[in-house]
Amino acid sequence: MFSFDPYAPAVDADPFPFYKTLRDEHPCFWSKEANMWVLSRYADIVTALNDWQTFSSAKGNLMTELPNRAGATLGTTDPPRHDRLRGLVQHAFMRRNLMNLVEPIKQIARDTAAPLADLQQFDFIEDFSSKFTVRVLFAALGLPLGDETQVRDKAVLMVQSDPRTRAKGPEHIAAYNWMQEYASGVIAERRAHPKDDLISHFSQAEIDGDRLDEREVLLTTTTLIMAGIESLGGFMAMFALNMADYADARRQCVANPALLEDAVEESLRFNTSAQRFRRCLTRDHTLHGQTMREGDFVCLAYGSGNRDERQFPNPDVYDITRKPKGHLGFGGSVHACLGTTIARISVKAAMEAFHEVVPDYRRVQEQLPWMPSSTFRSPLRLELARV
Amino acid sequence: MVMITYIEPNGSEQQIDVPEGWSLMQAALSNGVEGIEGECGGSCACATCHCYVDDTWAERLPAAADNELEMLDNVAAERRPTSRLSCQIKASADLAGMVVRLPDVQS
Repeated sequence: MFSFDPYAPAVDADPFPFYKTLRDEHPCFWSKEANMWVLSRYADIVTALNDWQTFSSAKGNLMTELPNRAGATLGTTDPPRHDRLRGLVQHAFMRRNLMNLVEPIKQIARDTAAPLADLQQFDFIEDFSSKFTVRVLFAALGLPLGDETQVRDKAVLMVQSDPRTRAKGPEHIAAYNWMQEYASGVIAERRAHPKDDLISHFSQAEIDGDRLDEREVLLTTTTLIMAGIESLGGFMAMFALNMADYADARRQCVANPALLEDAVEESLRFNTSAQRFRRCLTRDHTLHGQTMREGDFVCLAYGSGNRDERQFPNPDVYDITRKPKGHLGFGGSVHACLGTTIARISVKAAMEAFHEVVPDYRRVQEQLPWMPSSTFRSPLRLELARV
Repeated sequence: MVMITYIEPNGSEQQIDVPEGWSLMQAALSNGVEGIEGECGGSCACATCHCYVDDTWAERLPAAADNELEMLDNVAAERRPTSRLSCQIKASADLAGMVVRLPDVQS
């Protein structure tokens, strides 16, 4: 009897065989462990993403949602409220408005990579990617320096869940509460001393004359910090893992760093860290002979859609020449990731600087310690050694 | 399925059966249309899925919303009265046979 438990450590370690069975045999599957339906084929996920009227985000988008968050953030509201909220923040994330961050990001990358010159073996996450991502986020949001390590640790903890209870544990809730307190302090500081930055604008914004309520300001800021650190860091770890495991691809990228852009896109398809998000049905919906009921939760397994042979030929092959346009690595449609451009800029800059200092490397651990999370998938440590 | 014809800047045509409800941007990316970039993924935040809708169809489409009109200010190619962002056009039965032309540049 097939089962799919997104809380199981086996799924954290290797979800792809489960996904294949889901796509081929159970394309609309009820997971009793997750208490939700699972859609796994590319076309079905795209259709759901486009049909936000049926597949609502307003009851939360994380597989294991944080308390009191749904309805107050970009990812957990539907249009038109979502569109107005997004309108307030998205101009800061558009490519032309990020151009002035490109050089600072490259400098952060070089500064963070430099100490690796003395090391034969290191943890890519602790020694490089977490330092890089937190500094980039602090630069992008204009956050005061001093708390970087703690902010990063809490961001990573708050997205996790307990594999035994299939819920957030007290340590995850505590991290989430800490992050709200931290965001609250930043918002108060910006209101007292406004600058020309995102949080200053956002914390004073009104939508159609209707000021954002405090919960929206607080939880959207909290989510931006969480996403900027955890999502970017998680993806960078997966990208470095691919570069370590696929030596030919790495050598090509080292020889010609322009290829990193294609390698990033293929990694977003191949094993992106954002594996699964969820929606809630606003009406009964029948798919593949199964009737899902209004109020049921539905998992959109992006990581499975990205391996769907109905869309991507030879999907289990990591091929940096693939140019997999339309992949689901950033989700899609109205809720596509706000940070697509800054993520692409940052990962390319980071890996280019990293490869200048560490051009040839392999992974040390045969088995990786995977983060327990029903939504995201990335290792907690990634030890690399020079070869 | 709704048949949409995409015409690349070099004149080559591709007819795609687009599932109802999909955006024209998504269908283009999923079917290898070169002239659409769609950097932001369909959230109306990048203006790299710009297209020109043939005159006869332009007036039949629902009008562009404010956020699409604002984003159209950012297109890289010439903006024309028939300019639209293909991520904001959803395939529906009454669009069957529509033709969209893609601009020389998207970014």
